[in-house]
Amino acid sequence: MSAQSPAQSPVRPAALELTGIDLHYGFVRALDQIDFQVGQGEVVALLGDNGAGKSSLLKVLSGAHRPTIGSIRVHGEEAAFHAPSDATAAGIEMVYQDLALVDAQDIATNLNIGREILRRGPLGWFGFVDHRAQRRRSEAELDQLGVRTAAMTRPVEMLSGGQRQVVALARSATRVSGERKGVLLLDEPTAALGYEQTQQVQALIRRMAKQGIAIVLVTHDLPLAVAVSDRIVVLNRGRKVADVATEQTDNDQLVGWITGARASMFV
Amino acid sequence: MPDDTGRQTVPAAGGAVTAPPAATAAPAPRQVEVDPRGIRALIFLRDRGIFVLWVLLLIGFAVWDHPFFASVDNGILIANAAALTAIFAAGVAVGIICGALDLSIPGTAAMAACSCGYLMEHGRPVWLSLLVGMAIGVVVGLLNGLISLRGFNPIIVTIGMLSITTAAASIISGGYSIPGLDSLEFMGTRRYGGVPAPVWIAAVLFLLGTIFLTRTRDGLRLMAVGGNPEAVRRSGIHSDRYKVLGFVISSVCAALGGLVSTAVVTEASPEASPAIIFTALTAVALAGVSLAGGRGSLPRVLVGALVLATISNGLTIKGVNPYWGTGVTGLLLLGSLGLEKWVSGTVSRRLVLTAQASVHSGRQ
Repeated sequence: MSAQSPAQSPVRPAALELTGIDLHYGFVRALDQIDFQVGQGEVVALLGDNGAGKSSLLKVLSGAHRPTIGSIRVHGEEAAFHAPSDATAAGIEMVYQDLALVDAQDIATNLNIGREILRRGPLGWFGFVDHRAQRRRSEAELDQLGVRTAAMTRPVEMLSGGQRQVVALARSATRVSGERKGVLLLDEPTAALGYEQTQQVQALIRRMAKQGIAIVLVTHDLPLAVAVSDRIVVLNRGRKVADVATEQTDNDQLVGWITGARASMFV
Repeated sequence: MPDDTGRQTVPAAGGAVTAPPAATAAPAPRQVEVDPRGIRALIFLRDRGIFVLWVLLLIGFAVWDHPFFASVDNGILIANAAALTAIFAAGVAVGIICGALDLSIPGTAAMAACSCGYLMEHGRPVWLSLLVGMAIGVVVGLLNGLISLRGFNPIIVTIGMLSITTAAASIISGGYSIPGLDSLEFMGTRRYGGVPAPVWIAAVLFLLGTIFLTRTRDGLRLMAVGGNPEAVRRSGIHSDRYKVLGFVISSVCAALGGLVSTAVVTEASPEASPAIIFTALTAVALAGVSLAGGRGSLPRVLVGALVLATISNGLTIKGVNPYWGTGVTGLLLLGSLGLEKWVSGTVSRRLVLTAQASVHSGRQ
């Protein structure tokens, strides 16, 4: 029952802000005048039926697609993503459903790949990795996120589904928690998980938000969205039909918006 | 469901599931987490089972073949017999670990050997000839890698390269062996400190290879690329470079193996024997290197080659026909597959249990 208000000051610009986004696939208008923003430390759940435009919006957010019209601002600065790597460079990390972990390697290696700590001195010149320092850093990072998974030297293939998801989330979290907190895009993070493991991931998402990371959560799991998010955005046929603080809505309303039975907030 | 139910479950669930909220605010000094003993024993069996097997074989043959087997001289004999297999096996293993089985190894070996022999026959210095032989390994590896990156199946690409390199070897040597390469004796039959040169070469190769794969950034990335190229790519690393590197290392090992074989018999043969790759593959598979890529360790591959040599040596001493050794090796290989499957299955079952336990209790 801790304070749920995001660490979002009114002065600070949103971590990621999309204005008037249109996305056309040929004649199909997948996204229609979408305004979307997520602030630092805020968890925004993105809901919608299949084909509502969730994935399209996620692809725009992650730089995989360029919007036909509309502007993207990262921390208040205009940005144009030509490729996912541009988004990554701007501090936006996508966590895919397939996790993309290296199964045979241990947790520490997985958390450190691409940003290895080299040993000091001549061994470092030859590219020798300082395993102990990497383990220490990973332990500290996981501690900060409040997740205890397993021994750092345990191969990822020997983890349960929930633990793997935690490692994947933590890996992305560590990549966006620099000076300026970044944005995490989560695509169905609990799709393959059981109840207990979903709880674990849910708690982790809250803790990451508490550290100031902006989180966009795309999910079909309505209870998860309600439990974990500060704000809920509902898409229906490429339009935003609801953008509401989670406290001010309930399941019935949300289901109404998702199915289209309830009229859009913005008409 | 009322509006606030979901909101209220969040912190409660968070507290119960993992660490208490206080721990998040100020992380307590963490004690090092250790896996349960049973699991550690199983992991040990999976990772070090080949060592255990080898020791058992050594003890068994030492008793059975007493007193001829357990002697320093026979040990050196086994090591020497294993050295060549081990060098080729290192190439096969690195290829597989990086995600591709390199079938061009026999051809690369023959081509490196014949080029080296041709140059020496034409009066070029030994060092230059050897260097050209190794360079051929690099070039073949680069070609294999760059062609495979275009989206072609690496197995077919390397089969094609096997034919090309075999033909090239014959063309260079004129279709006949190049005899009389006595100045290569220093890396063939000469002994240093009582140990033949091929054993030293294999030892250095495996030492360097192991350090590279487990201690350096590029080696770790190479293994990761074999395991999950997508994961590596998403970490902002050019995974393609590491794939090519895997092919190059594989072919360089092949060239080295070809040169050492040549040095042992002082004759460069253009014949590319496919038996090379199957023996090497047996050693690699015995070592538990998964064909799916991304896992495996060179010390185990070395022991795999030693196991093969030990079996054939031990049976030969006893006067058993060598084909029995081949059969026994096959049985061992199948047995090791079964063991690996059983261990992996047991570990994952036990770990799922403990993982669920930890979700409930908040600790391991």
